[in-house]
Amino acid sequence: MAEVTLKNLTKRWGDFIGVDNQSLEIHDKEFLVLLGPSGCGKTTTMRMIAGLEDPTDGEIRIGDRVVNDDLPRDRDVAMVFQNYGLYPHMTIFDNIAYPLRVRGTPKNEIEPRVRKAAEQVELTEFLHRKPKALSGGQRQRVALARAIVRTPKVFLMDEPLSNLDAKLRVTMRAELKHLSRALKITTIYVTHDQIEAMTLADRVAVMKNGIIQQLGTPDEIYNDPANLFVAGFIGSPAMNLINGSVQDGHFVTTGGTKLVRVAAPDSPSVVLGVRADDMRVAEEGEGDLDVRIYAFENTGEATLLTVQWGKQRVIAKGDRHLRKDQDDIVSVSLDSDHLYLFDPETGDRIKR
Amino acid sequence: MRDNTLKYLLVLPAVLVVFATAVWPLIESLRLSFTVGRLNRPGSLDQYLGWENFTWAFSQEPAFWNSVWVTTVYTFLTVALTTVLALGLAMLLAPGGRFRSGVQTLLILPFAMSPALIGVSFRFMFNPEFGLFDAFFGVIIPPLADVSWLADPVLAFAVCVMADVWGWIPFLTLVLIGGLASVPQDTIEAAQVDGASGWRVFRDITLPQLAPVLAVVIILKSIFSLKTFDQIFMLTNGGPGTATQTLSHYIYFNGMKYGQIGYAASVAWLMVIPMIFLTYAYAKFVFRKN
Ligand SMILES: Nc1ncnc2c1ncn2[C@@H]1O[C@H](COP(=O)(O)OP(=O)(O)O)[C@@H](O)[C@H]1O
Ligand SMILES: [Mg+2]
Repeated sequence: MAEVTLKNLTKRWGDFIGVDNQSLEIHDKEFLVLLGPSGCGKTTTMRMIAGLEDPTDGEIRIGDRVVNDDLPRDRDVAMVFQNYGLYPHMTIFDNIAYPLRVRGTPKNEIEPRVRKAAEQVELTEFLHRKPKALSGGQRQRVALARAIVRTPKVFLMDEPLSNLDAKLRVTMRAELKHLSRALKITTIYVTHDQIEAMTLADRVAVMKNGIIQQLGTPDEIYNDPANLFVAGFIGSPAMNLINGSVQDGHFVTTGGTKLVRVAAPDSPSVVLGVRADDMRVAEEGEGDLDVRIYAFENTGEATLLTVQWGKQRVIAKGDRHLRKDQDDIVSVSLDSDHLYLFDPETGDRIKR
Repeated sequence: MRDNTLKYLLVLPAVLVVFATAVWPLIESLRLSFTVGRLNRPGSLDQYLGWENFTWAFSQEPAFWNSVWVTTVYTFLTVALTTVLALGLAMLLAPGGRFRSGVQTLLILPFAMSPALIGVSFRFMFNPEFGLFDAFFGVIIPPLADVSWLADPVLAFAVCVMADVWGWIPFLTLVLIGGLASVPQDTIEAAQVDGASGWRVFRDITLPQLAPVLAVVIILKSIFSLKTFDQIFMLTNGGPGTATQTLSHYIYFNGMKYGQIGYAASVAWLMVIPMIFLTYAYAKFVFRKN
């Protein structure tokens, strides 16, 4: 059993607040992703859990034990660093064996365990090499093997895929997911990549400026964003955010176009959120609103239409067989079941 | 073509100066080492003697062997002490170390002093009548209260070592701080998380990655220790007796005091042998591929 509990965790450097009074419970065997833009305090949170950074305030529990005063080595965690932190002067074998050696594992157990870990990440041919002689992806696997060679209470991974090229990242993502399902160990995973978060996580904690904005399953985060920040951060292309007001149960754009029924009280100023997926594109005159195409993009699997909507530009996803050109007129309709309203002042979601 | 001529013409003065001040004296000293070479005997500078100066040093001169022994012990002790102490200091002062502050700038001070000046000031400090260290050691180690430091062969040697270590620690510390800064922090943190104690992190992670810098530091310091002259000259002048007479001092004494410039030149060339080894090792470490 190793749940991780953060209670009112705070990290300050002088006046600067890196992590601001955050509480979070990570369940046993859960894969939790800390997601947020660069500089939001993800790494700091993880380093505090690992014991590499002292919290200014608050409590960290691993299992039943408060670990605030424990050294990193006494916390029984394994960490994959963003730049891997491999030992350049040791062979791959020795790199993977190091956590076993320093923890006094009997000599005859070391070799089979290193081989097994290396097999799990498909590294067995490279055991005699030094890290310098490996590619980025292979180094990443070494870092992973070094983490899984023991059975720690918690895995900590800090953007482990961010140094890989796009294609390798997708492959490694799947391998990571497979591995984590097989190992069933509590994992805290830091990333700024929302696709990684969506695909890997049991639950995602979306962070901004040292504060967790929303904690939930990938479905909840995607379908039920708590505020403007989460809505804008999750999803690709990003959710369209349109300024306007609510009058007589309808959303009205700042340009004065009465657009769609919304179940919300009248309000002079709201932000309407709608995903590109949830907009239907039709021929001119056949939908709710005729708009001019600003840019037409064909990604192969779909088409993306950036359309001019009053003073704003909005992205809609069209059928992959749709063919249009810049300055053509199309008609878009909104799906009133998948609209989100936000308060522009606070950013909070306005629930119906 | 014209360009090339001009290029060589412009470099020529520098080449000539180097030749006149470094290459020629070197060749001349090598020539002298095979002559009788007495300053007070005209014509002896051209009187060819063969290898006799060298065999003389090996077979007839206990003072030569004494200075070899003194230099060896002196080099070994100063290199070991300076390196270990500087490494300790560097660990404390390096980024992320425990005592990083303005102290660093203060540290450089001893290095800014000339060795001769260090020699003079240590001589004053250990003066039996008004020396600061003399009084200080007398208080913390009472049996040492009445000794006259520089008159005792072993203690005088110890003072020489102390002065040298004191003078060299700053430079070595700065170099090692630079070396430590180039050890990636995440390898150290990875080892901490992997379960290594502070000592194991140092032994398994920091030290091996610092090894190339450490090797260069040790070789450089060995070269400087082997050459030590001015400090000893001002501090003890090789005494008492020949207790602190290093090879350089021995060469100076024979060449300048006794006028045996031929013999002095041959001993100087004997010193070249360990120097060549060290310089070769140094070059190998500094210019090794990646
Ligand atoms: N040692 C430090 N001293 C001062 N500020 C720091 C320190 N470490 C991190 N920060 C700041 O804290 C904020 C959060 O950093 P970090 O947790 O690394 O963000 P990220 O979410 O990108 O991992 C950043 O603005 C960073 O500049
Ligand atoms: Mg980070």
